[in-house]
Parts: sequence; structure tokens; C-alpha cells
Amino acid sequence: MSTDDESFHPLGEEWENDLEAMLDDTEYDSDLGMDMARDAMRVTKGELSEAEFHEKYHEDVMEEFGVDDRPTEEAYEELKAAEEGTFSRVLSTFEGDGEDGRRDVMKKMGAGAAFVGLGAWGTADAGEPEPNVAAQEDDDGEDGIQWGMAIDLERCDGCLSCVTACSQENDLDQGVNWMYVLDYEEPRGGADTSRNRLVRPCQHCTDAPCEKVCPTTARHTRDSDGLVLTDYDVCIGCRYCQVACPYGVNYFQWDEPDASIDEVREHAEQMGAENDHLYDERGRWTDSRAPRGVMSKCTMCPTRQDGFKGDEYVGTTACEEACPPDAIQFGNMNDPDSDPQTYIDNPSRGRALVRMDVSAPSADTLEEQLDGADDDLESVLDASEDLDEEMLRILLAIDIVTEEMGVGDSEYVEYEQNILEIFDVLESHGLDLASEDVLVPLRLADEPGEDDEFDGPSESDAQAALEAYAGSPESNFRLLEDIGTNPNIVYLGNEPGPNAQQVDGPVAYDDVGLTDNRKDVLDEKTVGDAGVSL
Amino acid sequence: MSTKTPTKEDILRPTNTFTKKYVALFGVCALVFGAFLVGWLYQLQQGLAVTGLSDWGSGGGVTWGLYIGAFIWWVGIAHGGIILSAAVRLLGMDRYMPVARLAELLTIAGLSAAGFYILVHMGRPDRMVTSVLGHYHITVNNSPLVWDVTVITAYFVLTATYLGLTLRYDISRLRDQLPSFAPEVGGKQLPDVYGLVYDAMTVGYSEKEDEIIERMVWWVALAIIIMAPLLLHGGVIPWLFAVLPNYPGWFGAIQGPQFLTIALTSAISGVILVSYAFRRAYDWDHIITDDIFRGLLLWLGFFSLLFLWLQLQQLTAGSFAPTVDHADATASKFSHPMYIVPILMVLGVLAYIFATTLRPSLFSKKRAIVAGVFVLFATLVEKTYFVISGFWYPTFSIYEGTPGEYFPSAIELMSVFGTIGMVTLIFLVVSKLVPVVELHAVEHLRGDHGHDGDHESAHDAATEPEVEA
Ligand code: SF4
Ligand code: SF4
Repeated sequence: MSTDDESFHPLGEEWENDLEAMLDDTEYDSDLGMDMARDAMRVTKGELSEAEFHEKYHEDVMEEFGVDDRPTEEAYEELKAAEEGTFSRVLSTFEGDGEDGRRDVMKKMGAGAAFVGLGAWGTADAGEPEPNVAAQEDDDGEDGIQWGMAIDLERCDGCLSCVTACSQENDLDQGVNWMYVLDYEEPRGGADTSRNRLVRPCQHCTDAPCEKVCPTTARHTRDSDGLVLTDYDVCIGCRYCQVACPYGVNYFQWDEPDASIDEVREHAEQMGAENDHLYDERGRWTDSRAPRGVMSKCTMCPTRQDGFKGDEYVGTTACEEACPPDAIQFGNMNDPDSDPQTYIDNPSRGRALVRMDVSAPSADTLEEQLDGADDDLESVLDASEDLDEEMLRILLAIDIVTEEMGVGDSEYVEYEQNILEIFDVLESHGLDLASEDVLVPLRLADEPGEDDEFDGPSESDAQAALEAYAGSPESNFRLLEDIGTNPNIVYLGNEPGPNAQQVDGPVAYDDVGLTDNRKDVLDEKTVGDAGVSL
Repeated sequence: MSTKTPTKEDILRPTNTFTKKYVALFGVCALVFGAFLVGWLYQLQQGLAVTGLSDWGSGGGVTWGLYIGAFIWWVGIAHGGIILSAAVRLLGMDRYMPVARLAELLTIAGLSAAGFYILVHMGRPDRMVTSVLGHYHITVNNSPLVWDVTVITAYFVLTATYLGLTLRYDISRLRDQLPSFAPEVGGKQLPDVYGLVYDAMTVGYSEKEDEIIERMVWWVALAIIIMAPLLLHGGVIPWLFAVLPNYPGWFGAIQGPQFLTIALTSAISGVILVSYAFRRAYDWDHIITDDIFRGLLLWLGFFSLLFLWLQLQQLTAGSFAPTVDHADATASKFSHPMYIVPILMVLGVLAYIFATTLRPSLFSKKRAIVAGVFVLFATLVEKTYFVISGFWYPTFSIYEGTPGEYFPSAIELMSVFGTIGMVTLIFLVVSKLVPVVELHAVEHLRGDHGHDGDHESAHDAATEPEVEA
């Protein structure tokens, strides 16, 4: 479904063109039908009155059909809006009232116009249970799922936990770093305010050049959730995808993988996956390490997304889960309320939320500690060991800048719920968190003037508090956006410049049992390895 | 023209002789080719880890290397047949008629080698049919690799058709003098195998078809000639690279013309070498005359000039005020021997050819051969450099492992000799089977060809200055 085209119909241009084609097949004037349909839409939007509508087409309709019993007649004559106006009534009033007559008119008007009109009138008629294609389609209101990530580079520690987790989850060979983390240097200097680090999974591009060039369709985008995957049963190992990908995220399986198929299956069982961690829900072999001679890369864990590991794993990836500072937010990029999107919307809030989740006391502990304390702010803060003034300020600030705390099913909602529980404890202890006495000392509201009323929390103060606490990222970017791949990873932090060069990170790949440069491994098998390079 | 008069016997000589030298050459080529096949089998068994390739990026290597470089090289050489055919059939340059068929055979053999490289390069060649053909209707819309396979196949079929059609004329006329081979196995007389081939090739032949065939051949030639430069080496092959914006060394509109000039230089060189080999082996001084070599050398000079000119365009555009990524790619060209040496070699060849036009006595066939070998070596190295340097200097060059390391493994290096052996074998076998010089050419050289004589002589006159120049 398209929303950005210029079609008048809620179902979009394609739908409209189909209708027009159907109209063309009838003996009646399709231009008239389409014009009427277009204006019928305007009526539903209130841009045109029913009377005007009736008048505008009266002559044409009379000429074409010899009769004009449209429901708008009434409006036309009485110059007032019709009470009911479904298109089915338009149809039934043309000729007779039985099914046959109706079908006849459908034919006359062209089935297309009938549908267009039906949609249009249906929308205008709120309470009408008339079948309504447009409304039904409109209801789900989403573009479908597109998995992606927000990665906060300023939160990444460079610990390589994600790389390790991915490698373990997928039984990857040494040097096959589907997830790769690197530190870099800007030779000509750069902002010192932020880390120069990049976390690099496959970008699961919406316009993936790797897919475009693939001679076999092995590299493809899954319709259901936008994951870019490789069908290991189809790939011929030409490596063109690897060539076309501007990010260098592909890893060819140059030899027999270290983990046998049986080992992968066994591992799947240990992980508690219902499938064998090989075949996705469509029955295509796209997950885990690749067999010999085909291409592999980061998959964003289809076994998880397909629910084979259980519902709680849907919307998670191995790397995201493993990241200690929660620098990776995985979720549906088409959903404005998903983890990555809310994080991108307000990274300071996201960071604060993550940090609070680690440091804030649990509701139960707090309750115990508050036992017997007074209910003013100072006493509460004194009584609770783990909750200090700053923490409470941040917790409240998070609440203030968030539209609806604790609603939805993303991972963050859990964090929000924990905060709400803390609030409950405080409120039931007698602390009014919305009051002047709490918000003003915490610098989350302006002190009212003598005669003014307290006007509640200040969102800008709250935001400022979050930014002061968690910082705000240097920038927000997608990698190599100018190449037109439309990547689905959004980075927060420093964007590497064209001169950036990798340098050693805080943790070496060797130190955690990984191999950085795969060539070191592959060289062992090269026949007649000269040990030199061109 | 030579003092000896070319005869039918001359062009039949390869089919009717069987020398020790032939056997020796055959043996060597078979051995080299066989050695490579063993290497390939080992690669199939072990995986492509036996090559010097790796993943580009954090993988620290290049993912396409000598296999792809040599693939491009062979497709380029395969152009030889086309230029010669174009010259002879369409432009009426009958001077080259004696080497036209050799050139066409070079096309067939070169394309076979290129096609073989596609298989050798793949991780799962066994899926070629199911995976590629099975999804052809989808992938042909956007995969340059599928375009390549399509055009190469079409080119191969057209050239084979063309060759087959022109061979009918010759075989039907020379049928009696062509060899036969009817061995007795276990007391049983087998049919003449050669005869079977000839029968199949000339099935339904009658002299009445000559005129029609000639017209058909003309049209097929036209089709191939339009297709080759526009679609193949000036099209789908460079497009494999030129359409990718993330490699400054590859991206851009110039690769089409640049590839074409490289193809044409290597193609002419290939024809020079093959022609010279046959002339020496079968005393064809009077058929493949010095004049032909002079002419070919001139063409080689012309295409070398274009080759260098387009390289110059790239060097200039890449170093005047380039983007950061483009600057690195160009800087590498100015410093890497795999680029500098080939360019200097072609420059040397160009200088030599230029000198021969000023002072014709500088020409000798040996020198022409050296020029051809130089160009073939240069184009192979340059094309391989082109492929791997793309990965060395990509736009996203942040990785420590970029530029990656690469040195072709023994198997990869062997593939070059193996395919040269394979192409030589194709020539050795075909030349025993059918005349590799057209009957038309002999007729023409003797001046007794029947068709449009006036037209021919007009053309001879028109092309005369080329030799003198
Ligand atoms: S990053 Fe984009 S182009 Fe590269 S493999 Fe992933 S989807 Fe394909
Ligand atoms: S290596 Fe496989 S997935 Fe990649 S382009 Fe070739 S056939 Fe497609």
C-alpha cells in the first residue's frame, strides 16, 4: 500500500489504476466514473457538499445512464446532507432493488467505480457496517515489519561481546565476523567529544545492492519482515553480492565450515529452538553458518524473529542481548514506538532509561527502606539508600518526556514499567510526584510567581536534565547513505569520515577467542601460499 | 603477394599431416591443461580456500582475483574473430580473409576458456543450471552477471553458427580430400568418424544455398559485430564493475570504452600469434602473407593508442581534484607495478608500431610477435590489477584489512596456463578436422573468385594506403 503517491483513493495509485482498467472494460464512460469517484472521495473528506456533488454530475449521469437516482439527489433538492449514503444504496436506486438489478448497475457503472465509490461512501458513513475495503485496509495502518537497529556508538564499550555472541549463536568459523566492531582514527583529527568506534552488522538495506546483483535470487529480502537473507540452497558462490555490498559485511564460506550440520542441529536443541536453526518459517535454509561454497552474512536471527525460540525472543538478536551497555536496539523500524525508533527519537531518554534500569532500586527494596520515613521529599531521599536526588530527577524526567509510560510490547516498556512501580511505591508512601514540592526542588518545573498557579512539570527542563545526565550523541546517521542503499541501521554518535582508518580497539579479537583478519585463517589452506602479496 | 600460388592442397595440409611436433605440442598442452584440471578438482573438493582469495573488508583480502581477471582477458581475446570478420565480411577488407577463420576459431576457443573460468570461479558450479536458469526470468532484470552469461552464450551461439555456415561451403567442396578415420576395433569395422562429422556439418547442402548462406552469414556477422562491442566488451563485461558506486577504481562510464580497447588490443595480438603459428607450421608464407601482419600490427597500434588514451582520461580525472576514495585508487595506479609495467609495455608497443610506419624496414614478423606477446601479457596483468585494486581501494576503506593481501595460489596461476593449453588444444583438434583457412581465401588470393569482382578491386584500392602508411 502506498501512501505517498498522488492518488485520490485511500488504497493508493495502483488500486486506482486497476479500477480504471476495469472501467475501461465496460461500455460506459470510464472518465465519468473516475471523476465521480474522485469527487465522491472529496465529499467524504468534506471538501465538497453532497449537493454540489449531485449537481455537478447530474447532467452527465442522465446522459450516460438515463436515470439519476443517486442518494445525493435528496441533498441536492433539500440542500442538506443525506443521513445515509452508502454506495450500495446508490446502486440499488439506479434500477430495481434486487441483486440482479444491482449487479446490472455494477456493470453499468463499471465494477471499478462501484468499488471506488463504495470505499468513499463507506468512509463517510461512520456507523455503517457496509463492507468497506478501504477502511479495512486502513485499519492496520502499518507498512509491515522492517527489522533494523539503532546502535548507540557512544555507549559501545568495544568489548566484542556482540561479536562473540553472534559467532557462538551461529556457529561461525574463525574470522567470520558477521558482527564486527572496530575503533578508528581520523588521520586529520576529528571531534574528541565522542568515541571513534563503529559497530558493523549487515545493514539489511531496503535497497540492497547485494540482492540486486545476485544472479540466482539466493540473496533476497524476506517479504514478511524486510530481512536480507541468503538462501544457502540456491547460492552458487559467485560472490557478486559481496562485491556489490559497499559495507564489506559478507563472508564467503571458502571451505568446509568448522561446525558440522549435526553440530548446528545439536546446538539448536541446546538453545531450545523448535527448528534446527537452519530453515526459517518459509522452509528456506537461511540461518546459521553457511555450508561450503556459498555466501554468508549477518542474518538478524530469523530463527528468533520467526518465534522458533519462543515469543520472548521475537524482536531480539543475539548481539543485542549480549551487549552489556545496551548499545544495540533491535526492532521494527516501521513502528514509531519500537525500541530503535524511540531511542532515535530521544537518545538521551533512551540512554537514561538503560542506565536507570541498572542503577535504580527495585520497588520492593525501596518500599522496605521507606518504611517509617516521613513523606516529604527530603525524608524520602534520606530514607532510601539507592535513590538519590539525581536519580529521582532522571526517573521523573523520563516520565515527563514520555508520552505513555509502560505501554506497548517493546523491550523498553519493561524498563518503563519498573520505573512506574517505583513511582507507585513513592506515591503510596505519600509523596505527590506531580506536586510543586517535588518538581520544583528537583528542577523539573518552574517555581510559580506569587499569584500564579503551578503549571506542572516542564518538558524542556526534563529534557535538559536527561541530556545533562546521559549526554546526547554527536550525530545520528546511516552509513554511506549517499550510495542509496537505504540501510536499516541508524547510528548515534560519530560518523566515520572518508579518511578514517581502523586502529586497535580496547579488546583484541584474539583475547576473546576470535580472529580479526580471516585471511590469516584462510592462508593455511592456500595451495602454494607464497607468503607475499601483490 | 607471394610468388607461390596458394592451392587447395595448402589449406588441406594441416588435416593431412601428422608430425612429431604436432604430437609434442598436443602432449604438452594436454599435460598443462590436465594439471590444471587436477588443481580444479582439488579446489572442488577442498573449497575455494585453496586460492589466495579472501573476503574484502575485515577479511583482509580480495574476493575476486586472477580468475576474474583472466575471464575478462579471454573474453577480450575472443573479440579477435569479430574484428577480423567485420573487416572481411562487412567492410570488404579481403586482405584479412586468410586469417578470418583462425580468428573466428579464436573467438570460440576464447569464449570457451572464459566460460570455463566462470565455473572455476564459483563456489557451487554444480548449481549453475538450477540456480541461474531457474530464476533467470527474475534475475535477468537486474543482475549484470546474468547479463554476462546471457550475452556470452548468445555470442558463442552466433559465432558457432556463423563458423558452421561458412564451413559448409568448404567441406562440401573439399570433402574428397579431407581425412577419414575408420578404425577396426576388435575385428569390427567402425564407421568413418571424420565422415560422420562432415556429413553432419554439410547435411542437406546444395550449391544453390551458397548465395542465401552468404547473405545469412553477412547478417549474422552484422549481428555479432554490433553485439560484441556494444554489448559484450563495451557493455556487460565492464558493467559488472562500472555500475558499482562503491569502488572508485571501477565506477563510471569510461569502463565500457576502456574495456573495449583492451579487448581489441589483446584480440589483435591473439590473432597475430595464432596466424604466425599456423604460417610457420604449414609453410603458409604465401597465404598468411607479411602484408597481413603489417596490417594487423597497424590495427594493434591504433587500438593501443585508444587503450592508452582512455587510461590517461582516468588518470587525469582521478588525480586532478578527486574525491578522497578516488584519490587513493588513482594514487595506487601511479605506484603499483601491476599497473605501471603493463602501461609501459603497451606504450612501448605503440612506439614500435609508430616507428614502423615511419620506417617500414623496422618491421619484422618476430617483432610483431613480441609486440603481440607484450600486449597479451600487459592486458592480463592490467585486467587482474583492475579487479583486485577495486577491492583494495573501496569507498568504505576504514578496515585495517583494506587494502587486502592477495597473491594468486598455484592453482590460480595454473589456470592461466591451463586455459592457454585448452585453447591451443582446441586449435590443434579443429585444424585436423576442417580447413582453418577458407577456401574463399585461396580463391581470392588466386584471383579466381567469382563474386563481385569489381567491388573487390575497388576495395583493394581503397585499403591500399593502409599498408603503405
Ligand atoms: S549491508 Fe546492505 S548491501 Fe551489504 S549485505 Fe547487508 S543488505 Fe546487502
Ligand atoms: S554469492 Fe550467492 S548470494 Fe551472493 S550473489 Fe552469488 S549467488 Fe547470490
